[in-house]
Amino acid sequence: MKKVLPLILILVCLGAAFWSFDFLPEIGDAGSKPNTHTTDYYIEHATTETNSPNMVTSVIVDYRAFDTMYETTVMFIAGVAALLILSSSPNRKNRIRTHHVRKNREHRGAPVYRTVNKEVVITIVKPLILLYAIYVLFHGEVSLGGGFQAGALMGMTYILDAMVIPEREGFRLSKENSAALGGVGTFIYVLTGILCMVGGGVFLEYKKLPLPVEVLEKHSVGMLLVEIGVAICVMATIITILNAIMERVHFDDDTN
Amino acid sequence: MMTQIEALLASKGIYFLTLLLLVLALYGIIVSKNYMKKLICMNVMQVAVIFFFLCFAQKDSGTIPVALHRIVHAADYINPLPHGLMLTAIVVSLGTTGVGLALLTRIKEKYGSIEEEDIIEGEKKFR
Amino acid sequence: MRAMLMLEAILLLALIAITLVVIFDKDLMVVVITYCAFSFITMFLYIVMGAPDVAFTEAVIGVISTIYFIMTLKNIDRRCK
Repeated sequence: MKKVLPLILILVCLGAAFWSFDFLPEIGDAGSKPNTHTTDYYIEHATTETNSPNMVTSVIVDYRAFDTMYETTVMFIAGVAALLILSSSPNRKNRIRTHHVRKNREHRGAPVYRTVNKEVVITIVKPLILLYAIYVLFHGEVSLGGGFQAGALMGMTYILDAMVIPEREGFRLSKENSAALGGVGTFIYVLTGILCMVGGGVFLEYKKLPLPVEVLEKHSVGMLLVEIGVAICVMATIITILNAIMERVHFDDDTN
Repeated sequence: MMTQIEALLASKGIYFLTLLLLVLALYGIIVSKNYMKKLICMNVMQVAVIFFFLCFAQKDSGTIPVALHRIVHAADYINPLPHGLMLTAIVVSLGTTGVGLALLTRIKEKYGSIEEEDIIEGEKKFR
Repeated sequence: MRAMLMLEAILLLALIAITLVVIFDKDLMVVVITYCAFSFITMFLYIVMGAPDVAFTEAVIGVISTIYFIMTLKNIDRRCK
């Protein structure tokens, strides 16, 4: 009965929706309401106004930059929240103890990796991913990509380094430093907006940046600064959540 | 025959399948008693919503929104506005997933399990 | 070029099948790996719809969220009732 009742409710919802889909526009119709009013302006003026052939990037970090600023802040706050939730363990007398999972796995012994020399693979693969991330960051206006993808790729490089070769002494960020780095990324974003106000414009108006270049170049420079801020924030948030969860994980081949 | 199927898909079919995905994920959230499964079903639901938004952006005879020349016509390119909105939504979903997993780890440490029934039993012990 | 609606419908059916596996399977490791396949098929779907930027993001974010899920699976029980 408990499983049937939600099923009936859901079937009723589906049936009711199927007979009232007429108000939705037909897929592929170029003259439908979502495809006409504002977006025509965006498509036709993005290249000439913002000097960015990739219209998605121009919509994200130029026309709707104020929106993206708070998305970046949400990312930063999510990292800090994950850090704070896992910063202390529950009180000892309030804890209900059950058997731990590791007891089931001890008869198998420590896992042995013999097939692939992982150090060599990581040494080859990691710089390529990092190089691609930097390419995506700087060419986000011209081709596909942008700050979010570049930040995620950089975070993935760190995850590869930290998880595949945990014993090696490499570049490591502690969880406090990575959370602070996320704040730095958000700060770069806001600072770009304030720099535009110094030049006499409104917040995030790139054409008033106080730089000795042409107007279209100013748009490119402003978008690049903003994307660097977004990339640093996303990378730092990924590393923060990784650090916060990884502190509590017991791997099979841990020595202590 | 093919054109009839495509016309049905364009007017109702794709929307119906998207709604089915959303509603199925909702059913999973209600029915499954494991919190990890609830979190994954939440992510599935989010994908359904993102897909619903991207449905509006499609145009016949349109290419991807990267301009080839300086002068462009609006009918030649796919609508970039839903893409921009949903791109940030996907990245923020990673942050919410991280917070959810942190909460899961904390629940496991306190109650020793992430099954809903065990957690209700554990709550009764404290009373 | 007309929008490829047939291909989209087939990929959506695959997504629905994967969601059924996620709901009714009892092994959480299977569920997480199947969710990785889910985000892979989603990436294909976004490319078919003409949103390569979104597909790029989904490809990277899907991998990272799978890593998070598997790391949390080391802490919690793998079986589920």
